[in-house]
Amino acid sequence: MWHLTQIWRVAVYELRDAVRSRRAIVVLALYLVAAVGCMYGSISLLGRLEADLAKMLQLPASQKTGVVSTTLWKSKPFQHMVRGAVRDDMVYNDIVGKHPVELIYAWFTLTYAPLLVILVAGNRIADDVRSGAVRYMISRVSRGCWSCGKFAGQALMIGLALAAGTIGAYITARIRLYSAAGSYDLLLPMFNWSFRAWVYSFAYLGMALGVSHLTRSGSKATALGILVMALFALVPACCDFFAEPVGWQSYLPQLAQLVPGGHKSSISRSSLPVFIHASLFLIALGGCYLSAGFWFFRKRDC
Amino acid sequence: MDYALEVKDLVKRYGRRTVLDRFSLAVPEFSSVGLVGPNGAGKTTFMMTVVGFVQPTSGDINLLGNGPFSAEVHSGRISILPQDSELPLEGKPQELLEQYGILQGLSARDARLSAAELLKAVNLSDRADSQIRTLSHGMRKRVMVAQCFVGFPELVLLDEPLSGLDPLEVSRMRAFIQSRRGRQTIVISSHNLHDIEILCTHVVMIDRGRVTRFEEMERLTEVGDRLVYKLTAVPGDLEVLKDAVPGLTLKWYPNDNSLVCVFSDSGMAPEKINAALLPILLKQTGVLSISQGSSLEAAYLKEPV
Repeated sequence: MWHLTQIWRVAVYELRDAVRSRRAIVVLALYLVAAVGCMYGSISLLGRLEADLAKMLQLPASQKTGVVSTTLWKSKPFQHMVRGAVRDDMVYNDIVGKHPVELIYAWFTLTYAPLLVILVAGNRIADDVRSGAVRYMISRVSRGCWSCGKFAGQALMIGLALAAGTIGAYITARIRLYSAAGSYDLLLPMFNWSFRAWVYSFAYLGMALGVSHLTRSGSKATALGILVMALFALVPACCDFFAEPVGWQSYLPQLAQLVPGGHKSSISRSSLPVFIHASLFLIALGGCYLSAGFWFFRKRDC
Repeated sequence: MDYALEVKDLVKRYGRRTVLDRFSLAVPEFSSVGLVGPNGAGKTTFMMTVVGFVQPTSGDINLLGNGPFSAEVHSGRISILPQDSELPLEGKPQELLEQYGILQGLSARDARLSAAELLKAVNLSDRADSQIRTLSHGMRKRVMVAQCFVGFPELVLLDEPLSGLDPLEVSRMRAFIQSRRGRQTIVISSHNLHDIEILCTHVVMIDRGRVTRFEEMERLTEVGDRLVYKLTAVPGDLEVLKDAVPGLTLKWYPNDNSLVCVFSDSGMAPEKINAALLPILLKQTGVLSISQGSSLEAAYLKEPV
């Protein structure tokens, strides 16, 4: 109980400190701008596609972006075409009926949440060790509680950043998109995707903080985090490419499960058991990465 | 005697370099102990090892009778002013001290009161809500010292607590630390021997990672043993002085024109010795000052290295 209380106290402190950190504010602002920009850009693109489509079909052009694509998306022949394209009933069932903007936002948040994590949290432990600020904490709480508290505080911080991004993107969609204007039907689905991205980011957060335990330089820790993230992105692709039905290559798909990217599609599924399974796996992966870094830090002179 | 801190055969090596070499020390409860020694003697490493920032290569540490440092056992009972450690720059003094108090197990109310009281004591009440990054070096140092006393810990380790402070603040800080003397066990590391002399009841001399001497301040500076007379010139007749008070040992030091009078064997109080010696001395030479014992600096410099 003492440990949990201490972890919570460190987490609250870390969140308060992180929110005031200039770097975190800049990264958060950039994420917000990127979310709004992505939404604005994709709706503009959608508008141009709709205009082209209307021209091709010799229909009167609509000033209201989203009307054509929503109608198209709901049409049976188009759905049939999508089913053929994805060649997976589960994936098809997950995406059919969803607004294109929701899917664009899902892509954005799942793609950029890991980068947001590395940029916001990558330096937090290394910088505290370098400045000596860690000493004021670990003379009061155990190193383990401190590391876990940092993780929890940063998870809350990332949650806030994702929520801010969602609100920004939603407001943009509401202003720019006809079918979302005047209704709140996109807000909850967008928050749902942010939540999924938040869970997905736990593994990256564990990695970023794990790496941050290894060095005294915040910049080096961030650079290492980005490098590891790039490696993580390569692993599932390589495993897919080299996988064979027999021999040692048959184990490659399992290897991909050891990196967050191996769970990206599972975390996006509508099926609750699949989502929970992927979430637990991602949280466990985050815990493992963090523990690996902490193992080095627990006896380190600082 | 109970000890707040016991260290036995502590060794810390960095590769081939031995920083602490079978370092042994027992700090009595409620004493104020000054660590003195040359640069690189191992004072800071010793303090860092005691609170677990640095892992010892070997040796035993017993803190407050509860073994080596463990946050679960010692949080709130031991505190440290670490050298060269910045406070979180985005934090504010009042908020940081409260936070540290809460982490030590104080209630939010007690932590708030303790923080406010300490900031007042270190003359920082007016900057309690300023961000640390906006404070000067000296102000930050005062916050660092204040955080050591949050929640009244039993053992306080201070590494260079007065360095970087202006003379007025040094004086205030000395008074603040002195006000804690006898109520908490305080270990101070400093190169300023004058500060150590004022603040401490015991002195530990450290050299090359070893304790070379551990002594009570009074014994080391011989306050109860000798009187030192600074004179304008050598006294005309030392024998006359010796005859005035039987049992005295008198020795003339021409380098600093001082006459040292060892009275421990005479059984007389210092004021009685002065009353007997001064009239004779004044007839023979001029007296500039009289002091009891020698300074810590003199005692330290006398120590064989």
